[in-house]
Amino acid sequence: MSATTTERGRQAGRGSARGKTTQSSPARGGAAKPPRSRAETRAGYAFLSPWLLGFGLLTAGPMLMSLYLAFTDYNLFRAPEFVGIDNFTALFADPRFLKSAQVTAIYVFVGVPVKLAAALAVALLLNAKHRGQGAYRSMFYAPSLIGASVSVAIVWRAMFIDDGVADRVQQFFGLPGGGWVGNPDMTMPMMILLAVWQFGAPMVIFLAGLKQIPAELHEAAAVDGAGPIRRFVSVTIPMLSPVLFFNLLLETIGAFQVFSSAFIISGGTGGPADSTLFYTFYLYIKGFTEFRMGYASAMAWVLVLVVGIITAILFRTSRAWVHYTGDVR
Amino acid sequence: MVRTRTTARKAAVHATALAAASALALSACSGGGSAASSAEAAPVATDRDIELSLVWWGDDDRASRYEEAVTLFEEKYPNIDVSTQFQAWDDYWTTRTTEAAGQTLPDVFQMDLAYIHQYASNNQLLDLSSQVGVNLETGDYDETLLGSGAVNGGQFGVPTSTNTLGMFYHQDLLDELGVEPPAEGLTWDEYDAWIREVSEAGADHDPQIYGGGDYTGTLWLFIQWLLQQGKTAFAEDGTPAFEKADLVAWVERTQPLRDDGVFFPIERTKQVEPLTGMQVNESVTELTWDNMLAGYAAGAGTENLGLLPVPTGAEGSQQFWKPSMLLASSANTQEPDAAAALIDFLVNDPEVGKIFGTSKGVPAVPAQKDAMELEDGSIDQKIVTYEEEVADRVTADTPLPGEGYGVVEAEFKRLGEELAYGNVTAEEFADQWFQSAEANLGGQ
Repeated sequence: MSATTTERGRQAGRGSARGKTTQSSPARGGAAKPPRSRAETRAGYAFLSPWLLGFGLLTAGPMLMSLYLAFTDYNLFRAPEFVGIDNFTALFADPRFLKSAQVTAIYVFVGVPVKLAAALAVALLLNAKHRGQGAYRSMFYAPSLIGASVSVAIVWRAMFIDDGVADRVQQFFGLPGGGWVGNPDMTMPMMILLAVWQFGAPMVIFLAGLKQIPAELHEAAAVDGAGPIRRFVSVTIPMLSPVLFFNLLLETIGAFQVFSSAFIISGGTGGPADSTLFYTFYLYIKGFTEFRMGYASAMAWVLVLVVGIITAILFRTSRAWVHYTGDVR
Repeated sequence: MVRTRTTARKAAVHATALAAASALALSACSGGGSAASSAEAAPVATDRDIELSLVWWGDDDRASRYEEAVTLFEEKYPNIDVSTQFQAWDDYWTTRTTEAAGQTLPDVFQMDLAYIHQYASNNQLLDLSSQVGVNLETGDYDETLLGSGAVNGGQFGVPTSTNTLGMFYHQDLLDELGVEPPAEGLTWDEYDAWIREVSEAGADHDPQIYGGGDYTGTLWLFIQWLLQQGKTAFAEDGTPAFEKADLVAWVERTQPLRDDGVFFPIERTKQVEPLTGMQVNESVTELTWDNMLAGYAAGAGTENLGLLPVPTGAEGSQQFWKPSMLLASSANTQEPDAAAALIDFLVNDPEVGKIFGTSKGVPAVPAQKDAMELEDGSIDQKIVTYEEEVADRVTADTPLPGEGYGVVEAEFKRLGEELAYGNVTAEEFADQWFQSAEANLGGQ
């Protein structure tokens, strides 16, 4: 995305007549490119430098450092001491590490599909033509604007304690009462609900995707006798699959990083009984409560690896189910 | 931008953020050592402007008291300007650790027993010994009390006040239930039986009232109980001096109460956090540090709370003073003399004693203690009276926690919760805690 825009900007800046043709193929046209002058190159890097500096000092450098720290015993006070792969072997013997991996896995593998399904369902509703549709779209998007904030986590907690909203609803329907916050079996559904409630971002993307599906496909299918469900399965889903794939990737990666809501709702403990001890949360505890930075760094790199592997698997499988317009198979 | 997660690359961002902190910390760490601490102490300069930083943990109430005290200090030393900052307990230690790694600890800051070893043995704190008699007077201190701030022969902190454990009881709730308060000096078994009695009496109440919370997961109470069995908690090097069997016995002795649902339930405990069962008027007793009484009274909305000694064991009460709210100074401070003068003022000045009352515990120095204005029936008075009356029960030396205590204390609490939820047995509790103790206690 960023490559395309800079390319476009550069061509526009050159003021060439070819600028008009870039609309269709923005990233091409290298053959006729005049050689760049030194000054231009330098200016380019100068303009890039804030980002380059930031990337080098605040992202790449620290990442490399944490890779080194992952193989050390480091408590912030004393100089790091090289310990080989001890941190990694210790990880897999640590019951709380395994618990945090389990908690996170449930959150990702249950939460993400549920959230995407909710986002798609709402997008389908909002795609139909109604009066005041614009207002509905804004309203349904609102939770995502505030969902990651501290205040919402606090409100969420208040909703699910004894005599909170959830408890009253349960009692109204004659279900066994009691708050969810203190019950280790119910905290995960509560966290997933909070995630699902923030369906706005994938919903907007789904909505854009739905608008792209040509009406004539639906019409043709209808003429052939396909009902709404059949049309959804055979037209909407395949046409939407690139968008679905994109959302799936983003949400999966995002879900692995859940932290602040769990931190607030559990009062910084990951409790009750470690039921909200998400991976990044445990990493934080190890690093900043117990000051075992080497161990925390090792955890961070295991997470990077796992997210990388899962992303790769998603890309692999996508060949089977993601259809791009214009693909010939 | 509503959402900033744009590409897969960002998967690593979370890790990076942590790494950023540690990398910066690392580069700063090579500075090492402590330059200022070895300098000769001289009376604090009055001919030039001095800036000091003062940091503590606590709430708004404590902050306004500190500000008042600082104003007095600045009146006494017009050339010294003190900038202040405060945080809640957890954030406080995160920030201090990061500062320690960057050698930028504040000139004067509150220190806890659980952390002083870690900071002192890593050369982060100023050795105040050379300041004693110059800018810092410690003559009015009880020697063992002052000793709590000593590590490896140096004086790295000075305690402000003392606490001791006690049992709070909620008189209003007892009146409602028609039950007598627990007898002074009752044994642990008698206390358990009393809790059972109250919980049965309060069963039909709405909301249900319990005799007390599950105290098993509090490490300090376990230590208190150990002392009462004639045992010691920690060896010289900070490692546990008791057996796994001792811990198993402690955990098992309250199991029947957990099985019968007599304790204030854990589900409810987690929901009312950070308040406690007593503060929401649903639990009648609680075992904790005596200086917490004011906070409990504020939470419960009544000052009609009583204070009793902790339950006794085979060897009697064996209570101990816990020195609290130590004040320490950074090893890297540019102004060791002024820092020592500020600590001196905060722990010795009678006016400061009046400002803080017992909110930080009973002042360690008599001059401050005597300066407090005690209204009859006030919380301050109850605490001071309690500490006077309990003095003859205080027969044990203070078990001084070593490096890593903070971590194993948190682990003890976590296991206590797992226990209350029925997720671990007494054996598993002991095994897991000893694992944590092995990894964190006694330095590495």
